[in-house]
Amino acid sequence: MRRLPLATGAALAIFTLAAPLFLERGTLNDVWNLAFAVILASAWNILGGFAGQVSLGYSVFLGIGAYTTVLLSLKGVNPFWTLPLGAVLAVLFSVLIGLPAFRLRGPYFTIATIGVGEAVRVTAASASFTGGSSGLRMPAGSFDFTINYEAMAVLAIVTVAVAAWVKRSAFGHALAAIRQDIDAAEALGVGSTRFKLAAHALSAALVALAGSLYAINFQYIAPGSVFDFRLSLSIVLMPIVGGVGTVAGPVLGAIVFSTLQIKLLAIPALRDSYLFIYGALLILVMLYEPRGLFGLARRLASRLRRRPAPPPEATRAL
Amino acid sequence: MPSEALLSVRGVTKRFGGLTALYDVSFDVAPGEIFGVIGPNGAGKTTLFSCLVGAQTPTSGEIRFRGERLNGLSTNAAVRRGLVRTHQIVRPFRDMTVEENVSIGAHFGAGKRRGADARRRVADVLGRMGLSARAGALAGTLPIGDLKRLEIARALATEPACLCLDEVMGGLNPAEIGAAMTLVSEIRASGVTVLMIEHHIHAVAGVTDRVLVLNFGEKIAEGPPHDVLKDPAVVTAYIGDDEEAAS
Amino acid sequence: MQDIAGVLVNTVISAALYATMAYGLAVIYGVMRIINLAHAGLRMLGAYATLTLFTRFGLDPFLSLLVVGPLFFLFGVVLYRLVVHRLPRSGAAPSMESLLLLFGVWLVLQNLAYVIWTGDTQSILTSYTMKSVPILGVRVGVPSLFVFAGSVVSLVFLNVLLKATYLGKAIRAVTQNRDAALLSGVDASRISSLAFGLGTAFAGVAGGMMSSLYAFTPDFGRSFLLKAFCIIVLGGMESVTGVAAGALVLAFLENALGAWTTLPTSLQDAASFALLFVTLVAFPQGLPGLAARVRQAFR
Repeated sequence: MRRLPLATGAALAIFTLAAPLFLERGTLNDVWNLAFAVILASAWNILGGFAGQVSLGYSVFLGIGAYTTVLLSLKGVNPFWTLPLGAVLAVLFSVLIGLPAFRLRGPYFTIATIGVGEAVRVTAASASFTGGSSGLRMPAGSFDFTINYEAMAVLAIVTVAVAAWVKRSAFGHALAAIRQDIDAAEALGVGSTRFKLAAHALSAALVALAGSLYAINFQYIAPGSVFDFRLSLSIVLMPIVGGVGTVAGPVLGAIVFSTLQIKLLAIPALRDSYLFIYGALLILVMLYEPRGLFGLARRLASRLRRRPAPPPEATRAL
Repeated sequence: MPSEALLSVRGVTKRFGGLTALYDVSFDVAPGEIFGVIGPNGAGKTTLFSCLVGAQTPTSGEIRFRGERLNGLSTNAAVRRGLVRTHQIVRPFRDMTVEENVSIGAHFGAGKRRGADARRRVADVLGRMGLSARAGALAGTLPIGDLKRLEIARALATEPACLCLDEVMGGLNPAEIGAAMTLVSEIRASGVTVLMIEHHIHAVAGVTDRVLVLNFGEKIAEGPPHDVLKDPAVVTAYIGDDEEAAS
Repeated sequence: MQDIAGVLVNTVISAALYATMAYGLAVIYGVMRIINLAHAGLRMLGAYATLTLFTRFGLDPFLSLLVVGPLFFLFGVVLYRLVVHRLPRSGAAPSMESLLLLFGVWLVLQNLAYVIWTGDTQSILTSYTMKSVPILGVRVGVPSLFVFAGSVVSLVFLNVLLKATYLGKAIRAVTQNRDAALLSGVDASRISSLAFGLGTAFAGVAGGMMSSLYAFTPDFGRSFLLKAFCIIVLGGMESVTGVAAGALVLAFLENALGAWTTLPTSLQDAASFALLFVTLVAFPQGLPGLAARVRQAFR
């Protein structure tokens, strides 16, 4: 039973890495998008799912990664060398925001993160170094999609592996304790602020790396694209709809999300309104299955096997 | 012998706005002692407790644990130094198993154990608290009696030098109180100093070495329980609030 | 001097609108401990409802508030019965589930609006849209004056409702001490649905009034949602006078920044988001908590 997820994960990983050998460019692009979505969802889940701190400001970290890469590349630095710096800056910003914001609990924290996200977006849109609303273009040069694809695929695999490791580690147990009862966790020696900061920093770094690769792939960024509130929304919706707090849930959510997105965006009438379906899904999940699609799948699977349901990992998901 | 005290409280006062919840309270707890803090409702027991375990900082005065000043230290930092508390209303992590609940204490308490070392410690504590058979059960599914023992088991797993019990006797019948007293004695026998906060004096009289009585935020008596019971000030304080205390 | 008069007049006018907007959030938070993220969507819907009444029936945007208010009250009650009611009740602190659920409602409303009205920018042009009158030597747009009047009427209505009716007394009782109110025989479920209706009506009316001042799209209302949060956080989350004070503080900050600094308009918004963040972190009890602390310090 324990080997099954590992085997599935390994098979998916090998398939993703080897995909350029047998998939054409268009399909490969879809897989790139999928890997991007998996990184965002799984990274957010480390803080939002494992530790229960729902942040609606994650596009900030994506933007930090993307802008670090573009701005340094314009100064002549090799784009791939800029990745670590973007991650470090995102970590610093996550601590800067986290130190005050983690004094807040539950929904108050969430609202504060909306405030931070909007303040950053608005500031970035009027600052000159971001290129303002017209954005910035990467310097013209050799761009190899396959390299970018492989980098994104590796980052996705690493992110899921990191999430799986965190979930099983003592660190992950501390996060779970914080999610369920922060005062009781403190009373057992868990330094909750330290662990929340660490989870925030870890997920911020992963999202920033994805942001750098995003900028390299699209060769163009603007505050409206990388600091977009809808992006922050998607980052939150994928893991919640997929199954918050689990390792597989966010991956499932990302797969469903990216697949639906491709289908929905192909219908012109739904170009602007594709988020409708996620809103509806979010309502259904909150009312009927707080453990998301993954929880639903597990419930169905155990019913098929006519066995009692496996112990829920998070009956109250948040 | 203040230099030998494990926990030393000196002139602690705590004010909330205009309300003085604690006034100039001093006492020492020696290593290996079972020390009781009792008092009628609103006497300041809970405030004293909060000041000890770091949730609140005294307005003035000083709390030292193993010679180190605790004032203003966070709860989790106090736990890592060996001073841990339980909650009167149990607060289990309901979506974790009993074993995982206890392992939080083993990982992040004073012992900071990991891996097999932590698992041994958890198994040991579960055995001592009679919870081994429940190790794999989700905490949310346990009956209240087991939850109360889980609350203490988690605290013991942090490997405290001093365990602060918040009204563990509350709501127990006489037979259960007897069992709880035995448990407290066993905990002391394992080398842990115990500080108990209770409403009823009779709940702690049989097991404590010394008790301190609070009334309206001030210390009105301190000493062996049977001497304190005869203290006229204590009797007066409890009249009308708790006739059992004087019995 | 001209500057100061301008800032003060504009502060009072925007504060009235802000207070109307924020009361919608505060009533629901007070009674149910629910943070209504759908508030922005409801306000946007109020703007579109006013627009539809204006273009289809030629109803003046301010007269149409008399239709929009009751309509949104009913919509709020239905929304509560259909969706919000099914959630496990929030305890003393608001639950994450309710926040996310209403977030979902917001997304649905927003994207329904995209389907019905498309993403094109809309605005309402009446015969008086461009007119203005001088007040204390400051030129104030006629729509702004109507918005001010509409806000004052709404706030007076709310005040009378809270002070003089059974529903109002029940709402205040549940807000101040839920358990005690329930023990005194208040039907919590009924009060909750009525309070949700009231909050929704205020959101709709605020949105209807804003449609005369701002151009809007289905995405309309997000920055105003943050402003409303900022106000109720400043106001201490559930106090009626607190909300009014919070609205004045925010409106003054914005107008002062606009008049006395060279910050671009977009950065003035960033200032209010920053104020939200600072308030949440530094004085979680808002202005009433801050006032209590100051009193204590000077005791």
